[in-house]
Amino acid sequence: MIEFKDVRASYERSLPILKGVSFAIRDGEFVAFAGTNGAGKSTAMRLVNGLLKPDAGEVLIDGVPTTALRTSELARRVGFLFQNPDRQICCSTVREELLFGFRALGAADADAEARVDAVIEEFGFAPDDDPFLLNRGARQLLALASVAVLEPSVLVLDEPTTGLDFRECEKVMGIVRGIHARGATVVMVCHDMEVVADYAKRCIVMSDGRVVADGPVFEVLRDHAVLGRASLVPPQIVDISLVLAAESPRLAGTPVARANTVEEMVEAVAAEAGRAGAGAGEVAGEAGVAAAGGAAGEGARRGHCASVRASKSRRVP
Amino acid sequence: MIRITDFSFRYREGAAPAVSGVSLAIGRGEFVGVTGAAGSGKSTLAYAMNGIVPHCYPGDFYGSVEVDGMDTCEAALTDVSCVVGSVCQDVESQFVTSVVEDEVLYGLENFAVPRGEIESRLTRALADMGIADLRERAIASLSGGQKQKVAIASVLALRPKVLVLDEPTAELDPASSLSVFDLLARYARQHGTAVVVVEQKIALLARYADALVVMEEGRIRFADAPAAVLSHDEELVRIGVGCPRSTTLVNRLRAAGVCSGRAARTVREACDVVKEAVA
Repeated sequence: MIEFKDVRASYERSLPILKGVSFAIRDGEFVAFAGTNGAGKSTAMRLVNGLLKPDAGEVLIDGVPTTALRTSELARRVGFLFQNPDRQICCSTVREELLFGFRALGAADADAEARVDAVIEEFGFAPDDDPFLLNRGARQLLALASVAVLEPSVLVLDEPTTGLDFRECEKVMGIVRGIHARGATVVMVCHDMEVVADYAKRCIVMSDGRVVADGPVFEVLRDHAVLGRASLVPPQIVDISLVLAAESPRLAGTPVARANTVEEMVEAVAAEAGRAGAGAGEVAGEAGVAAAGGAAGEGARRGHCASVRASKSRRVP
Repeated sequence: MIRITDFSFRYREGAAPAVSGVSLAIGRGEFVGVTGAAGSGKSTLAYAMNGIVPHCYPGDFYGSVEVDGMDTCEAALTDVSCVVGSVCQDVESQFVTSVVEDEVLYGLENFAVPRGEIESRLTRALADMGIADLRERAIASLSGGQKQKVAIASVLALRPKVLVLDEPTAELDPASSLSVFDLLARYARQHGTAVVVVEQKIALLARYADALVVMEEGRIRFADAPAAVLSHDEELVRIGVGCPRSTTLVNRLRAAGVCSGRAARTVREACDVVKEAVA
């Protein structure tokens, strides 16, 4: 259980970041924090793992204030994935990086070695690779793995998908989902509302150092007043259903107006259209042909460029 | 404004070229989005436009990259910088001062902008990015998203002919991301600036860009109007590029025979398709 009781926090006393934040997160929840830049989301995360102590109020982990817990005790319970993996990677090989947490906790025994080997297998790492030569997505995965290997009961993620491509994002979040399924509490700061909608069950929205909404993810993401106040944009399918409900009285009471996912929306629209499944192959074929002839804006040329003619090679020192 | 001809580049330490045989022309006032999976060469392509490749990253450079008639390989980096304003992926690496106001002033003073113009440009750039209230703040005290806005404001204040931005909204909240893209699109139209944005947020590119360039393994896989590119949704996913949910929805409806026509790029277009389908 993570509890914030009227927490106030700052980096400089003259500049308060959290201005009285209260919430409780039960064991095994998957909670997303969303909100304006500078709202205090990352600051709240740093309070959870004790990197920052509150100026006033209490942050409790399993009933114990973080101010009463040693950093090493907190680290065993709370794993923290920074927004930028380069802030936490520090070893010269992947294997050493995965062992680093155990060494820091004085627990690098045979059991730790076995867990590291299992994680290397699960994530598909090459153990002798230099972490700093991996691409951004692989470094993010390594940072996540180095936290996950310690099997913390709480996993805190600060913007885990920033800078990742579509596949990397799916891989990282798939692993996070697996960790959650094994019983961990997951708390995630995320600006990508599609990721929030896909993975979180509950959403806490912050604005100007305060909690402005807290509830089931789709209830929160359907609340226009909250979204506007916290500079959020709903996930696209939710947005489509809200727009359709507002613009079309006929659809307002139907499942179309309540759909949260692509699958729900397809089913709802097909039911409304009353002709689901008819002529799919034929229509799809026509669409492919139509798309092939699209015109670019001024000068942007179609891809598949000619192979390189090395007519002008310039080796730059 | 930008003419790239048969451009290839292999980093000195690289086993294979990061970019191979890319040709592209971008006109004045055009807003072009570049996307692709990690390692597809999109950042290298951006680096070639702002001269970082090859001036800061040495390697084998083939073909040519011209910006406003200037060969970025032959010209001095300082000359390229007078034409091309850049925002890096890691904005922390481009800050040179410790206070927001000083950061914007740094570029204006170094580009010898007349004294009488400096205050108005500074004020306007901060206002455009919605950070006028941060003017006297220490950069170190800002959140990641706020820092990103400062970096963009510093470049906008210089009013370059070309803007090259590498994931400029990665750390911004959703509404700020929308407002930055809105601003960039308006800026391109109003000032005739060629704007190139490397970005993973394809929903934003689809909504705002005039053309979308999709890179795969160093080559251009698609370069076309966003709607035309997004109609290749299965191929895009195969090469590691996700589609906006609006696009996926309409493509699925089309596959189910519920609707027909072009791919939807935006929420608005998807709503129109659904309304037509249920009419």
